[in-house]
Amino acid sequence: MTTTLRPAPGDTGSTVEILSVQQALNRALADELDADPRVLVFGEDVGVLGGVFRVTDGLQARFGSDRVFDTPLAESAILGTAVGLAIAGFRPVPEVQFDGFAYPAFDQIVSQVARYRYRSRGRLPMPITLRVPSYGGIRAPELHGESTEAFWAHVAGLKVVSPADAHDAYHLLRASIRSPDPVIFLEPKSRYWQKGPVDLGNSGGADGARIVRPGRHLTILSWGAMVDRSLKAAEVAAEDGVDTEVVDLRWLSPIDTATIVESVGRTRRAVVVHEAARTAGLGAEVATRISERLFDTLRAPVQRVTGYDVPTPSGALEDEQIPSVHRILLGMQRVLEYRRG
Amino acid sequence: MAEQSFPLPDLGEGLEDAVILEWHVGVGDLVERNDVLVEVETTKSALELPSPLSGVVSRLGAEEGETVRVGDALITFEVPEESAGIVGRVPAVDADVPVKRVTLRPPEDD
Repeated sequence: MTTTLRPAPGDTGSTVEILSVQQALNRALADELDADPRVLVFGEDVGVLGGVFRVTDGLQARFGSDRVFDTPLAESAILGTAVGLAIAGFRPVPEVQFDGFAYPAFDQIVSQVARYRYRSRGRLPMPITLRVPSYGGIRAPELHGESTEAFWAHVAGLKVVSPADAHDAYHLLRASIRSPDPVIFLEPKSRYWQKGPVDLGNSGGADGARIVRPGRHLTILSWGAMVDRSLKAAEVAAEDGVDTEVVDLRWLSPIDTATIVESVGRTRRAVVVHEAARTAGLGAEVATRISERLFDTLRAPVQRVTGYDVPTPSGALEDEQIPSVHRILLGMQRVLEYRRG
Repeated sequence: MAEQSFPLPDLGEGLEDAVILEWHVGVGDLVERNDVLVEVETTKSALELPSPLSGVVSRLGAEEGETVRVGDALITFEVPEESAGIVGRVPAVDADVPVKRVTLRPPEDD
């Protein structure tokens, strides 16, 4: 993935290491635990085991079991604990082990985490970062491959972010932990093992969306694991002379409408790609924002390439559910060949 | 590399153990998920047990003819450190290699 790095406030100078996404997340947690004694990391198996995906590997040994600790298998209690700790002045970084295990914590997240700042007229911020290994791509069992972003993006008071590569994994997690507001941090689990350059001292900016591939004929808007697939589709399209821009939204709440509108305003054609089911997925929100602002500019209706409106299938069947490069190309074809009237 | 062990599963109907009839794999073998690992015999029947994962066999829990109790180690695999303990499988780097079946045309108003 190409990336243009710009110095950002607080950056300390370029230090590039090649890390996998899981290593980058581990480093981000370690650096925040090191930088701020109020940061606490907890969840199922994050301590002794080091996390099922090794993201918290070695943290308990280094920072102690007071700051990195295992919890009972009870997601509602994990989030309830985070709320209490946040009120007491800590910066909790809880983990729910898999996307589908966030559902038992839904009440705490929506009824408490998202509302405390509002409810207390700003006196009680909720600097909680909830890490959620998310989406499909590893052929796991039921409730281990869910795309939950639309649930959280619908709730006022939550920020939602999803990195696509190791560099963003590191910097977006650090930015999330430092945010005074609660952040739902959706980690694309199929990308955990993907290595890439991480400039530890130079984020290039952790706010908003990022143009990861410039192009002039159409824009693909995506996030999480689908950014890499979109880039692959762009490479294939280039063989036919089609020049594709790929935008990684990164922040799914708030959505960086300005970057989306700037990009699609130039290319005049847009495809949104996400793994989640189509109906009421975030693609609908993105498409609406585009048509509200660019109706006269668009050369074709915004197309969506998404999962189907079915429960996320487990095992090998998920290969049919998750948009393939081929399905992305078909979506691109629909916008390129659209004719008015 | 890390090791991942699997116990003899509960074979149902209150059975507490099983006799190893025949191993279909040996130490050092690369086994695919769902390959038959072993044939065991309970007091009810003989049955084949499939492999819960892909990996290289590093240890067998018992010899043929020996009895293994439910919950005791049946087989141990060597698995890469990064995938030890995960649910699901590590996707191949070249997963979804694009096969081009669509012809695109650049827009005419380019």
